[in-house]
Amino acid sequence: MSSQLLVDYTKCTGCRVCELACSAKHEARFQPSLARLKIVKYDDLGLDVPNVCGPCEEAPCVEVCPVYAMRRDAVSKMVYLDHDKCILCKSCAGACVNGVILLDTYSMRIIKCDHCGGEPECARMCPTGAITYGPTSTSKTVDRHSKILGYLREIERSAEAQESGGVE
Amino acid sequence: MTGGYTGKILRANLTDETFKIDPLPKDWIREYIGGDGFAAKLLYEEVAARIDPLSERNKLIIATGPITGTLWPMSGRTVFVSKAAQTGIWGESHVGGFLGPELKYAGYDMLVVEGKAEDPVYLLIQDGHLQIHSAKDFWGMTTDKVTTAIQKKHNDPDIQIAAIGPAGENLIRFSAVIINHARAAGRTGMGAVLGSKNMKAIAIRGTGSVEVADHEGFLELAKEAHDRLRNNPQAKEMGKWGTWILTAVKQQIGELPTYNHRTGVFPGWEKLSADYIRPRYTVSDRACFGCSLGCKKLNYVSHGPYAGTLEEGPEYEGLMAFGSALGIADYPTTLKANQICNKYGMDIISAGSTIGFAIESFEGGAIDEETTGGLKLEWGNSDLAIKLLELIGKREGFGDILAEGTRRAAEILGPETEPFALHVKGLEFSGQDGRTHRSIGLGHATGARGADHLRSLVTVDQLGYQDVAAERWGADKLPEIVDPYTETHKAVAVFETENTYAIRDTMIVCWYSVSWPPVFWMRDFANILPLATGEKSLGDVENLTKIAERQVTLKRLFNTREGISRADDRLPPRFTDEPMPEGPGKGQTVNLEPMLDDYYNLRGWDLETGLPTSKTISRLSLDWAVTNK
Repeated sequence: MSSQLLVDYTKCTGCRVCELACSAKHEARFQPSLARLKIVKYDDLGLDVPNVCGPCEEAPCVEVCPVYAMRRDAVSKMVYLDHDKCILCKSCAGACVNGVILLDTYSMRIIKCDHCGGEPECARMCPTGAITYGPTSTSKTVDRHSKILGYLREIERSAEAQESGGVE
Repeated sequence: MTGGYTGKILRANLTDETFKIDPLPKDWIREYIGGDGFAAKLLYEEVAARIDPLSERNKLIIATGPITGTLWPMSGRTVFVSKAAQTGIWGESHVGGFLGPELKYAGYDMLVVEGKAEDPVYLLIQDGHLQIHSAKDFWGMTTDKVTTAIQKKHNDPDIQIAAIGPAGENLIRFSAVIINHARAAGRTGMGAVLGSKNMKAIAIRGTGSVEVADHEGFLELAKEAHDRLRNNPQAKEMGKWGTWILTAVKQQIGELPTYNHRTGVFPGWEKLSADYIRPRYTVSDRACFGCSLGCKKLNYVSHGPYAGTLEEGPEYEGLMAFGSALGIADYPTTLKANQICNKYGMDIISAGSTIGFAIESFEGGAIDEETTGGLKLEWGNSDLAIKLLELIGKREGFGDILAEGTRRAAEILGPETEPFALHVKGLEFSGQDGRTHRSIGLGHATGARGADHLRSLVTVDQLGYQDVAAERWGADKLPEIVDPYTETHKAVAVFETENTYAIRDTMIVCWYSVSWPPVFWMRDFANILPLATGEKSLGDVENLTKIAERQVTLKRLFNTREGISRADDRLPPRFTDEPMPEGPGKGQTVNLEPMLDDYYNLRGWDLETGLPTSKTISRLSLDWAVTNK
């Protein structure tokens, strides 16, 4: 019933197949800039972080919308956009903590994930299982930042050694 | 424009500080498809014969193919093409990552860099917004620093950056272009070409799209292709272990270059093998654009002399170049070397090979401590290898000579060092050995850019894929065609493999979906290309083969224009005269000449001179190239 996009941050390789698959399905072309999700890449650290729509405890995009164009399903917790009501103020785009609500400046419409109506293409195409779709209750807890935090600690610890022994 | 292409060639002239956008000539599509096909056509037409590759008259081309930026698996690669700084002949270097798709999303199939800037500059391409910025503040920076600096300056972490480091600035002959920290357009000295133009970096950000001719049809086939990769057992292994898995394979057939290719087995190989490295050093798996495999590994050294080194790689080739080839049984050394190569912007294969040349010259008494600046060169010494590498990167002391690559270094250091200078046409050997893998002997000798493993490396004999060999070349050629220790049928294998790879490099797709594991072949390209481009003639395997032959022969014509002939299609005596001293391939040598004859016959090149015959030239519609001398 209340399925969500779930991210295992340890599995993402940063290939961006999800972005391609998303734009291919919704825009009928290959255009990652219009994908409804985004892989944030830290090439200096070798780290890739998928940002998807939900699961959100609160839904800032709903709260902030001045014209009530965003509607949150009470059961699934998924937020849907009513394009007829939308006034393109971009408040939702600014409020989204995952940065996955966009304004397409070409067609002038807000772009937002709708979980492909229950069969999200990104999860279907993800090669590593980093993005899956399922009930939040049954998923194993995925601590959003643990990998990154552990990683940063390690890098901080070694920064000194690297600076003194490494190339400048 | 036909599907898959943006239809635009962007030219940046650094001398005049101007940009120009040319339409992509439509007739190129049918005859050259894209990628290095387009680049070969353009370079041949626009860069005159015999010019100095480091002069203003050389051009550097970044090219993409019709499927770059789509969902076809592993289609994120890009090619850098130029007259090579290292060899003075055909130069090309393919690179993974995300640069090519970004260029296409910005709206261009190709970028051509021309002329020379007066002061250091970098290019910034943001969709249609084209700028040339001063790079005075960035000159001297390592590639990682300049990449971060440019992203910060323009406040966009998604900018893709192709940068040179101090090596490119110092015109080191084997300097590389590094994309976003860890992807290297490594071979043939692309970094020096940019350095000679005072060009520090190319920064690209695109928000547009790639549209194919038949979206639904293309998508269906692309998804099926992803599934084929994901279900292929060898591809799964590749995803887990990366190219490190090759160390064990090579050791097993006696083809792991050791002590500057003196032998093909290395006692310390286990410490350079995938089983050993991954559990101890690998932090995470990474992938290039649109890839289901993810062969890139991020690694971290937690203790020992190189503690704190966090870097991707190296690939098998780097493991070989700074491991077995220098007698070093230590993974952290190779990771450190890879990091230095990435930061300075150098090709790890040529760097390692040049150091190996120096060590063997020293050992053989051809050079002494007076030449090396007091350094005692020896095998198996990690500190020494790293020290030499840094000297090369800075062009300091003895490093200044080695920065010229083995061929030039041997010329400087005298004829006594010549036997230890292992190269073909000026390019150092990649991590194979023709004595125990006969087809690569022919491949190394005939490769358009020199001793190269990426243009015609046959893997089915090396890895013993009997079924694949039978399917591609007929069961009647078994078992010889999969026997790495015989010349029989090897010219056929090299010829057909090189043809397939030529199409691979026009599309452009990654090596690893085609060669190892051998998942896709010509038929698959013929299936997807018409859906991408709408060009029906690209759906015919025979026609694709002809395009491939045109491609290979055009590069050959580029080289013959520079004076290359059969006399240059040779291997150093190490491979033809010195029998493999030990291991499973003990006693083997390469008998090159008969393979060369067969290969020339298949290519339609003259047996005596090695030049394409006029019949071949007109069969492949390359007459324009002959009149364009």
